[in-house]
Amino acid sequence: MILVILDHDGSHLRKGALEAIARARQLSSLGNLAGLVIGENLGAVAEEARNYLPTVYTAEVGSYTPERWAAAAYAAVQKSGAQVVVVASSRQSRTWTARLALKMNAALLEDTLESSTDGSRVLASRYSFLNRVTEKQAAHLPVVLTAKPNTTPPAEPQGQGGIEALTVEQPGAQVEVLERVAEQKKGVSLSEATVVVTGGRGLGSAEAFAGVEALASVLGGAVGATRAVVDAGWRPYGEQVGQTGKTVQPSVYIALGVSGAVQHQAGMNKSKYIVAVNKDAEAPIFKITDYGVVGDVHQVLPALLEAAKKLKD
Amino acid sequence: MKFIAVLRQVPDNEAKLKIEGGQVSLGGVTLILDGMDEWAVEEVIRLKEAHGGEAVVMALGPERFEEALRTALAMGADRAVHLVAEGYVDPISQAQHLAETIREEAPTLVFTGGQQADWDSQALGPALAEALGWPVVTWTTQLELEGETQAKAKHDLDEGAELVRVPLPAVFTSQQGLNEPRYPTLPGIMKAKKKELRKVPLSVQSKVEVLEQTIQERQRLNQVIDGSKDPVAAANQLIRLLHEEAKVI
Amino acid sequence: MAIDFTLSEEQKQLQALARRFAKEQIAPVAALYDAKEEMPWPVIEKLHGVGLLNAVIPEEYGGLGLSMVDEVILGEELAWGCMGIYTIAMASDLGITPVLLAGSSEQKERFLRKLTQKPSLAAFGLSEPGNGSDAAALRTRAVKSGDGYILNGSKTWITNGGDAEFVVVFATVNPEARHKGVVALVVDKGTPGFRAHKLHGKMGQRASATYELVFEECWVPAENLLGQEGDGFKLAMNTLDKTRIPVAAGSVGVARRALEESTKYAKEREAFGQPIAQFQAVQFKLAEMLMGLETARAYTYYAAWLTDQKLPQAHAAAIAKAYASEIAFDAANQAIQIHGGFGYMQEYPVEKLLRDVKLNQIYEGTNEIQRLIIARHILNS
Repeated sequence: MILVILDHDGSHLRKGALEAIARARQLSSLGNLAGLVIGENLGAVAEEARNYLPTVYTAEVGSYTPERWAAAAYAAVQKSGAQVVVVASSRQSRTWTARLALKMNAALLEDTLESSTDGSRVLASRYSFLNRVTEKQAAHLPVVLTAKPNTTPPAEPQGQGGIEALTVEQPGAQVEVLERVAEQKKGVSLSEATVVVTGGRGLGSAEAFAGVEALASVLGGAVGATRAVVDAGWRPYGEQVGQTGKTVQPSVYIALGVSGAVQHQAGMNKSKYIVAVNKDAEAPIFKITDYGVVGDVHQVLPALLEAAKKLKD
Repeated sequence: MKFIAVLRQVPDNEAKLKIEGGQVSLGGVTLILDGMDEWAVEEVIRLKEAHGGEAVVMALGPERFEEALRTALAMGADRAVHLVAEGYVDPISQAQHLAETIREEAPTLVFTGGQQADWDSQALGPALAEALGWPVVTWTTQLELEGETQAKAKHDLDEGAELVRVPLPAVFTSQQGLNEPRYPTLPGIMKAKKKELRKVPLSVQSKVEVLEQTIQERQRLNQVIDGSKDPVAAANQLIRLLHEEAKVI
Repeated sequence: MAIDFTLSEEQKQLQALARRFAKEQIAPVAALYDAKEEMPWPVIEKLHGVGLLNAVIPEEYGGLGLSMVDEVILGEELAWGCMGIYTIAMASDLGITPVLLAGSSEQKERFLRKLTQKPSLAAFGLSEPGNGSDAAALRTRAVKSGDGYILNGSKTWITNGGDAEFVVVFATVNPEARHKGVVALVVDKGTPGFRAHKLHGKMGQRASATYELVFEECWVPAENLLGQEGDGFKLAMNTLDKTRIPVAAGSVGVARRALEESTKYAKEREAFGQPIAQFQAVQFKLAEMLMGLETARAYTYYAAWLTDQKLPQAHAAAIAKAYASEIAFDAANQAIQIHGGFGYMQEYPVEKLLRDVKLNQIYEGTNEIQRLIIARHILNS
């Protein structure tokens, strides 16, 4: 049995859940599929999920803690006898799937780009060494696998499954959420954007980001920031691209005044096209750019904005 | 109180990676204490300085990890435990073995890095928590003890952040903003010589096998436009290339 | 199995710490302090914070008692970041060394302990406007007066002179007696009659402050006399025999930086459709640089080892000092050549290497003086 644990927003399945189903289907030679939704008031998402999977378990456990999610997933594993678990990869899922893998004494294949089976093992590829290396991994069952977002075409509906509620024992010690701080969000989501315009320390001030925002807006893209800029308090953490921020893979990544430390590259080096504007021709960013402009970002950025506006008119 | 940091040794960020025989070769590469683990080490030293007790560092890995443990001792950790195992060991198996030693130590809390700079894994912290039966807080940016039995922490989520209260013992993983790690000092290096570094040989079966590693760098066009003399012309050319050649805008 | 080139575990850690410090704390600000011709006090404070300042002071006086080999390891790393900033720390050791060699334990306690307790420096006052390396010809007068000496005269090119907690000043009680009349007196900062004027307009090593010191009826207590009257000249020479080795280590650091910058540039810079590293003319330059670097480093370690073994080493210190500064100067020169027009610009770090390392051929005894020492060693043995 292959268990797909379905990420949702309370009323709908997320895109990642459909990608996870598609991944699970690729492994169907290892067993039948079943789904699991975890949370509270799961009626609507379970109804949606049964359009994709022959069996859908529900685990009404309340709001998220890693301990609850792992316990719910493990209850479904025990109930279904699943030897493979597939989940969309995120910081949150990478936390509780590690707990789940340990409960199952399973191999954990994290943030995989693709996955397959040779009949007895699950094979997967993933990035390592700060996104610089691509590695192929193999593991015998049981296996817990997380699937990197935007790596698989989402699954299409198929059949009509049954819904079965699970009883999950509340885990012992767990975290208690005191307060949630929402991310400040404007315009296009950074992770989903096809154009990302990122400003670095080379911009010199928080005020200079007005130009970055304007260019992103004209190109229909999202604003990104480097860690230095976030540390300086010029931009919110939610915009940070890199090892300790977000990983993006847009059609074009425009880096303005960004030197391109390895930690930053870890969050953007798989972009389809990379553009950089920097006055230092030796900046590491130029090693990975398709189009680079060596020049003063304060002069080039307004000119880029004008040229982009003209193009869009 | 006792605070444990679990750490690893990884290639320096600027190290140029090479592949030999289908695996990343670390020969000639500068190896350092993983930057995110360094935050964990700094945090346990600070906790010990603020609340008393002991800051212990622990690692599971090859012989060379001793250097990273020594760095942590030179920063101010009190002693080190090194579970010596050569070769790749997946984080779940690591957690199972480390947990046995951690349980014997009975610490107030355990800290480790949010993501490993070599394997890009985020699993060690939460897997340790599971093996120990403790709660976990990942991507921690602030931590404050409230007595010996609970702590308040702020941590990053996929989007936004959360303030949580967590019963101790618990496992935390680090995130940028947690602290600014100190340098090891020369007196610290001298003193570290006399600190206990216990080695425990281990034979571990990895649940995951790394079949092949490659460096698949996307071929970049590397077109450079001189924007120093005429920034307007350079900007126009760039927009034209993105529109007509790359067709991405 | 008697020869062993391995570093101890602690030495490897010292090297890693110093390397990281140089990369993160020195190299990024080196050009700034060079341009401003200003003492980098924040860097000195951090050096003290990690225990890398004045670490040659023995443990019993609050220091770490670094061996000469340790100092060489440290010196190469710091000078890689900036030779000028390294000179500040090195010149402090130069001021400390005569106290170590000739001071009583009471004097060591009094003068050295304070250098370990806060970020602070020592200085060595030998050169005068009228005599550089001819130490026996000094003119600064010390006249016995009651329970002390009255100093009159001036010193020049004294690194840290106006910043130091104390300056070891070499003066003569009897000019006719030449070297037999020299005394070494420790002059504390703020002693009445002692003034320091910063010298401006240096070609390189501009982060380190160089002073002219003026003594006018400056009374120094006899308890500040190192050794006996007449010991001063020998003490100055013995001091320099030791401290020339850290100068050599600094040159090795500069040479390594020159090679690293050149290698990086040669791999990136293209001409005629390929990286210039593909050209034999450039390859030969890189190879020469490595030959110089490796031999200078190995010999500097040897001279340091002799010192730690308390074996005769004056000639080895002289060879290391002169040789390392010469290969480093050549390396910096070739680094500029490899960088072409860019190498001549301050935007790139290599022109500073040349300006900085020129001084290594001059101070702590010019390379010509080193050759005299070496020749004397040949002819007298």
